[in-house]
Amino acid sequence: MAFTSLTFLAFITAVVLLSSLWPTPAGRSAVLLVANAVFIGSYVDRVVQLVPLAVFLLVGYLAIEGVRRSRSAWSLWAGLAVILAGFIVLKRFSFLGESLTLPFSYLIVGLSYVLFRVLHLMVDAKQGELPQRIAPLHFFNYSCNFLTFTAGPIQRYQDYAANQTRALTLDEAQVFRAFARLIRGFLKVGVFSAIFNYLFDNMSGRLLDATLTPSLPVFCALVVASAVFYTIYLYANFAGYMDIVIGVGALMGQELPENFNRPFLARSFLDFWSRWHMTLSDWFKTYVFNPLLTVLARRFTSAQAGPYLGVVAFFVTFLIMGVWHGTTAVFVVYGLLMGAGASVNKLWQVVMTKRLGKKGYKALAERTPVIYLSRGLTFAYFALALSCLWLDMPQLLSLTHRLGVAGVLACYLGLAVATGLAFFVWDALTSAVASWRVRASAAAGGVIARNLVLAFQVLLIVTVASFFHKAPEFVYRAF
Amino acid sequence: MKLILTQIAQLLAALLALYGVLLAVSLLLVPRADVGERLDAARAPSSLFLTEPKYVFMTRGQLNTPVDKAILLGASNMLAGFKQPQVQALVPNLEVHNLSVGGSNIRQVAQIVDLVREVQSPEARRHNTYVIGLWYGLFTADRARWYTPDRHEGDTDIDIERYRYGFYRRTDAGAVPLLPPQELGLGVLLIHPYLVLDRTARDLTRSLRNFMAAKSAPITDAQRNAVVLSDAQKRKYLDFWRDYTGGADKIDDTSIWVLNRLIDAIVAEGGHVVLVDMPIPAWHAQGSSLAANYRTRVDALLPALRTRPGVSVLAMADTAGDDDFSDEVHPKPRVTGRWAARLAAVLNPSSSERTTP
Repeated sequence: MAFTSLTFLAFITAVVLLSSLWPTPAGRSAVLLVANAVFIGSYVDRVVQLVPLAVFLLVGYLAIEGVRRSRSAWSLWAGLAVILAGFIVLKRFSFLGESLTLPFSYLIVGLSYVLFRVLHLMVDAKQGELPQRIAPLHFFNYSCNFLTFTAGPIQRYQDYAANQTRALTLDEAQVFRAFARLIRGFLKVGVFSAIFNYLFDNMSGRLLDATLTPSLPVFCALVVASAVFYTIYLYANFAGYMDIVIGVGALMGQELPENFNRPFLARSFLDFWSRWHMTLSDWFKTYVFNPLLTVLARRFTSAQAGPYLGVVAFFVTFLIMGVWHGTTAVFVVYGLLMGAGASVNKLWQVVMTKRLGKKGYKALAERTPVIYLSRGLTFAYFALALSCLWLDMPQLLSLTHRLGVAGVLACYLGLAVATGLAFFVWDALTSAVASWRVRASAAAGGVIARNLVLAFQVLLIVTVASFFHKAPEFVYRAF
Repeated sequence: MKLILTQIAQLLAALLALYGVLLAVSLLLVPRADVGERLDAARAPSSLFLTEPKYVFMTRGQLNTPVDKAILLGASNMLAGFKQPQVQALVPNLEVHNLSVGGSNIRQVAQIVDLVREVQSPEARRHNTYVIGLWYGLFTADRARWYTPDRHEGDTDIDIERYRYGFYRRTDAGAVPLLPPQELGLGVLLIHPYLVLDRTARDLTRSLRNFMAAKSAPITDAQRNAVVLSDAQKRKYLDFWRDYTGGADKIDDTSIWVLNRLIDAIVAEGGHVVLVDMPIPAWHAQGSSLAANYRTRVDALLPALRTRPGVSVLAMADTAGDDDFSDEVHPKPRVTGRWAARLAAVLNPSSSERTTP
């Protein structure tokens, strides 16, 4: 069920109304169960295509329960090994070849996020944070919640359970906020992501057209433009999807965690990842980075080594996070780039703090030119690294070969300076109109005015949809 | 639940109010499109509809009249080769409408016939003579033509117009009309703000879009008449068509079946069909294995079709030499008068036959 389809709109309308018709925890759980089944069922033609997911869930449930009862390290490791092995086989990682492929097509959408939830429950069970057995209904509703099934946000089970035990009560302001959030999400997906997807398709089409042989500067410009358009497309698409599910969740009494916090304000790579796909970053911080750092700190006890352990832990964490995005070799490159970005960022912090002291480093980082250059460098690095998500390995190699080291550096630095300047101009403009925006918001506070604003946004979505042949797909569904 | 329903009602009311204002303003500022009495998709770029598929889809409502009509169908070579005003001047007893759409294959032609039929009464259908321009490009397989990343799988350009404003609903069984075809005029009126906005947005962004699509500037008729193709250009055109037709070297049987079924449907309702065997330059025909296969297939097919009541065949091979083409498929403007006369010679007796009891 595509998020931009009328079918999905009808579906969420029905689910929201039914949830408010049965607002008790039991009623909402029952509605959610049916909604999840219908939503997941919409992805398949035959029931057999659901069997691998069902088996994966069953094994996951048994593993969690086993760990919860025994709370032993070996049960945790055994459970992790089985689940990860199952995930790798079901996701058809390319290094496996054809040897372990199931002989029929089946649903893999959402599997990555089901994995995160199962692993989280297993580790929490080991740490004693799941004192009671999770009922199968709640396990299914949590791990296959249609709002978060496809691509998160990755909610903690404890937060989900707290939501589900509350009766649904909404006031007028909450309902309007939820509608506004929902429509803002469709606006991001249907307008901004559609426009930038169109621009990206055209630009990358020219970039990858073997019959065109542009000069190196034009080629660099095409690389940079494609990377920027893809990044904005991805952001609008993913953040819009989050707005949609958070808005719908609010109407159903589910308080879902935020996943984005204005990522292009980030002044460093690590700052960026605390603002982009935040629930994924948090998950990796909790279940990979922190345990890894603990292990390293136990092994390397020297005080001098301390600051550098973080560099190593960041590299490994971001490498895994990058590789998680796909099953082919190009995602290893992406993982290496993410790992390099995070570790170099950490190393820079360590070295500069040593050299300038904490105060000196902070003072340097607060200078206006440094702020905008940092933002530009961060955006440029992320945008160019994201190329791994839209190029396959031969295309990536061909492109880097054509660019050469000088071309890659020119693209990176040129884009960093250009975006740094663009951010500066944008901030200046937005601060200039800030007071006007406050007045406009106040004027649009009445029932009629605020609904006219929403209606205008809806018309904008419909208008842009009429321009394009095809609504943009939810891009993170593929990861 | 009451709060949610109230919010939905408020939003719907705001939408209606806002759209009503937009509709009124757009109608005041930009009058409704006047396409004239005769439809000519070649005029689409200068109309509010902008593109040929949208022009054909939106304007066909006026074909529901019990008047003899020649409806020209095919790809861009039918638009370039048969100028509606030239043909009309030679066949005064018929209404001539050119509903050809660039890039069409036979499936899209069949869809246009369906679109015309659905707005016509059975009586009006009896007065149709469909002139279909055949050439090998028209038999490009759907898989090669309509399965591109920028569209839903298999959607033709006509399908895109069907769904664009919600006039049709996509189902597993194909497009289903949401707006009754008889209410097409009302539908076009209601989407007027979108037509105006689309036109304005496209006018404003034309340069950018042309740059992104790496399009060259349009050329005049005089320049087109003076074109002399180099060998490199010819090779490029041949490569393009090989790629465009999916590298096929045989005409897809399904395409022939669609043509036969289309003729059956038209003739069964009392309509007539003129099949025009469109020429292409000799260097193009000789350089394309698909064109060679098409020639074999069509040479066997046309004599059989010619014998059927209501079906005529117009051979055009002798009407143009290589020098009469401005590119690999489109005739030069200087040729179109000759072509119109050739078509008129077929249409005039066909018309008198049909009107004679």
